[in-house]
Amino acid sequence: MRLILRRIVSQLGFEVIEAEDGKAALDLLGTVDEVPKLALIDWNMPNMNGLEFVIAARDDARLRDMTLVMVTTESEHGHIVRALAAGAHEYVIKPFTTDAMIEKLALLGLVPTGANL
Amino acid sequence: MNEHMTPTVEDLREIADQVWKAYLDPEGVRPLIQVDTAVTGTEVSASVSLTGAWDGHVLVSCSNAAAREAAAAFLGMEPAEVTEEDLTDVMGELANIVGGNVKSMLPPNTAVSLPHVVTGSANRFPMTRQIAELAGTWIDQPFSITMWQSSELAEVPA
Repeated sequence: MRLILRRIVSQLGFEVIEAEDGKAALDLLGTVDEVPKLALIDWNMPNMNGLEFVIAARDDARLRDMTLVMVTTESEHGHIVRALAAGAHEYVIKPFTTDAMIEKLALLGLVPTGANL
Repeated sequence: MNEHMTPTVEDLREIADQVWKAYLDPEGVRPLIQVDTAVTGTEVSASVSLTGAWDGHVLVSCSNAAAREAAAAFLGMEPAEVTEEDLTDVMGELANIVGGNVKSMLPPNTAVSLPHVVTGSANRFPMTRQIAELAGTWIDQPFSITMWQSSELAEVPA
């Protein structure tokens, strides 16, 4: 899934960094000079899951401006509410098409409306 | 489907159609063709376990050639470029997506595990029974999605 997301956002002009789980992502974010504009986060990950990552990221003032998008198969209403309440900005349910992902990023103002690959 | 009934073959078909449209066949030219008989000849299987209010497994199985084609389609590369790691990653992700969507049809408080991928031999789930099988062929290769529910202890022979 990371490769698919990398392909989509790379073609939209983003520079991409990846981490295998929430803990690794926090560690990686601690080493970068520039905080990414966008984080695409799976829910089901080892070590630190996506919800825990969102909570941790929202607790870090340095990451305040990073847009958090959950990309997950967890489609239950309760999961979506929990993620949004924790500070996620958007929620994309797998499987998603490339167009659906671009549309979501456009809604967030991260790519121009009507952008395509 | 009624809320929180056990998913059926039709439900698996609906999930598969979404997966094919999103990743494996966005052009609509290489569909999963459903067959009536059980699929044999699968060499790669990926599963997720569901635990909690419902206990069982969702298994995605196919031939090595189909897994390679799936990885290529998923990752936007040529089949010859697909590595073993690509292949297992994609099969695991397919199981994650299918299993996650199955989970949404099950009672609340059912958790889905991280995926588990087995190559070269069949994946076995002791003390379970198969409750649904979407059997098919994709690019003339065997491809199936099955659901296995944990048996009640009373049903298991001593």
